[in-house]
Amino acid sequence: MTLLIARKELTEMVRDGRFRVSGAIVFTLLAGALLLGWQNYREVNAQHTAAQQASRAQWLNQGKKNPHSAAHYGVYAFKPKMPLSLVDHGTDSYTGVAVWLEAHKQNEFKYRPAQDATAVQRFGELTGATVLQLLVPLLIVLLSFNAFSGERELGTLRQLLSLGVSQSQLATGKALGVAASLGLLLVPAALIGSLAITAASGQGDIMASLPRVGWMALSYLLYFGAFVGVSLAVSAWAPSSRAALIILLGFWMVNGLIAPRAASDLAKVLKPSPSAFDFDQQMQLALAKGSDGHEAGARAKMLETELLKKYKVDKAEALPVNMLGVRLQDSENHGNEIFDQSYAALWDTFSQQNRVHQLVALVAPGLAIRSLSMGFAGTDFPQHTHFATAAEEYRRTIQRTMNDELTYQAPNTGAPYMANNDLWQKVSPFQYRAPSATWVAGQQAPSLGIVGVWFAGSALMAAWAARRVQVY
Amino acid sequence: MLQTHNLSKSYDGKVALHPLNLNIQPGEIFCLLGANGAGKTTTINLFLNFIQPSSGSATIGGLDVTQKPLESKKLLAYIPEQVMLYKNLTGLENLKYFTSLTGAEHSAGQLAGFLEEAGLARPDADQRVGAYSKGMRQKVGIAIAIAKKARALLLDEPTSGLDPKASNEFSAVLKKLSASGSAILMATHDLFRAKETGTRVGIMKHGHLVASYATAELGHADLERIYLEHMQD
Repeated sequence: MTLLIARKELTEMVRDGRFRVSGAIVFTLLAGALLLGWQNYREVNAQHTAAQQASRAQWLNQGKKNPHSAAHYGVYAFKPKMPLSLVDHGTDSYTGVAVWLEAHKQNEFKYRPAQDATAVQRFGELTGATVLQLLVPLLIVLLSFNAFSGERELGTLRQLLSLGVSQSQLATGKALGVAASLGLLLVPAALIGSLAITAASGQGDIMASLPRVGWMALSYLLYFGAFVGVSLAVSAWAPSSRAALIILLGFWMVNGLIAPRAASDLAKVLKPSPSAFDFDQQMQLALAKGSDGHEAGARAKMLETELLKKYKVDKAEALPVNMLGVRLQDSENHGNEIFDQSYAALWDTFSQQNRVHQLVALVAPGLAIRSLSMGFAGTDFPQHTHFATAAEEYRRTIQRTMNDELTYQAPNTGAPYMANNDLWQKVSPFQYRAPSATWVAGQQAPSLGIVGVWFAGSALMAAWAARRVQVY
Repeated sequence: MLQTHNLSKSYDGKVALHPLNLNIQPGEIFCLLGANGAGKTTTINLFLNFIQPSSGSATIGGLDVTQKPLESKKLLAYIPEQVMLYKNLTGLENLKYFTSLTGAEHSAGQLAGFLEEAGLARPDADQRVGAYSKGMRQKVGIAIAIAKKARALLLDEPTSGLDPKASNEFSAVLKKLSASGSAILMATHDLFRAKETGTRVGIMKHGHLVASYATAELGHADLERIYLEHMQD
């Protein structure tokens, strides 16, 4: 019986001009956004690959040079774009795409598209995620706000219930009908998206992308299901179709437009994060003061004393190691402690802000699906920090390699020391392995839980409201 | 087939239906007459289990409508004052949908036959019902009852607003359904139609069934006189 109801709902919707027009608009925007995303992904990825190769070539071909000069010469690490980022750009526009890895500094990421965006662009860009998170729920509202109230107003609800159709069968049939109508739009769009992702992925990468695609699809299905459930519940409960529409549009607006802004503002008030300028100033101050309370000069003196004692010699020139190399590595080690503390504190603040977002998501599931979408697209903040950590590890490896060269190969006489290409070759190219879908799912467990609870809760709410639906 | 036992309904202390005892046998057409608010529609809604009784019970084919709501409705067809259908579906598609929901499976030819029996032939049956007149929609309602082989029919002002020809056709179909063994309860304001179609008439006033007659015992003028007398009290 539920399938009969679903089939009738689908037939009616397909014949309804409003559905055809709104569906065509949503489909066109979604397909367009996916194709634009694919084009953007292809271009940006090609640029990153070319730039990464150029940076590596520059490193290898820098010629004879003192290792510490080479450490300052540095290399760039480009954050790879994942194929699913064509669906959701996430925080990439704000976190930056490349970092310069040099001596003494853990630099901030550069090249943030948001910095170059116009005011209009900042208002919102058309991505697959925008369509899926804002327009598809709006379409669900428009398709189902009168599912029960419309039947009641039309008088067909009496007709249906007089035939011995139960309210729960009616609710399930209507939910399936709305789902089938959405399927008419989303299945072709998903095929376009799959083709785009396949085209965007290299051979083998597509298999790596599949688990993320699966998780993302599951997340969106749960979210859309929650919207269908809420819409049916409100339609059954509201006194009229107009009231149902107003309530549902209000929910859509609060969930999709107001809650994200409000959550960000609330998070900043409750867990304030420093400005980029303040963060840099504080870190510079900490570097100057030293993690152990000793300034750089004093610490160098202490280190020299320790080494003289260790090797039982009375002057630096007599040491079996190059004092400059030792000092530079010590400075790196000291800086690394400061960087780790500073970034850990900063990222902890961001993580606390994220928890505020998750709390708000309990009443506005749009925040949870945003987080899930970015997460499985590989464009959320935890994955940015995952990459930043890997890049920083690579920077430290370069510094250690350069400083070890100085320490153990450079003469201790103060004479200039030049290394050649053999040393540069010792530094392997930067290779980043993005975290697995399971890792992301673990990170996103609270958001997954919230969307799951909304899905189950809205289904129960719809069943409860349908059982109490009044025929008048 | 359609029975009530001391069935009553009150809203916030205001009595809409005083204890009512009815027994409508298969083949009988019982017409409930009365002014607006007399309790006719309340009686039908109680049979449909759309509202809960304050006391007493209503049964269809021996099944208590509050205890066995879905089972009792399987025996029943309901035709309201305005049969409302899905405007984006054709008459035939509406019939197919509603009859499928009862669990019945009919071919397109059979469904077209039911519509024809109810007075709606092709090509009208293949038109979307958005353009149907009230009479045409009522015919789809009757076709649903025919297709469902309903043993009991509840009709709430079904001929209100129909032209005389359509009303006559409607009455003829009802008589056929009655002759085939259906028990019919029809609420109406139309004294002429009640006398012409019904086998018994009941007059309701302020929630009471104040009189009940076999139509064969009365002429048109008698029924009108009795009805008006009751209304004047």
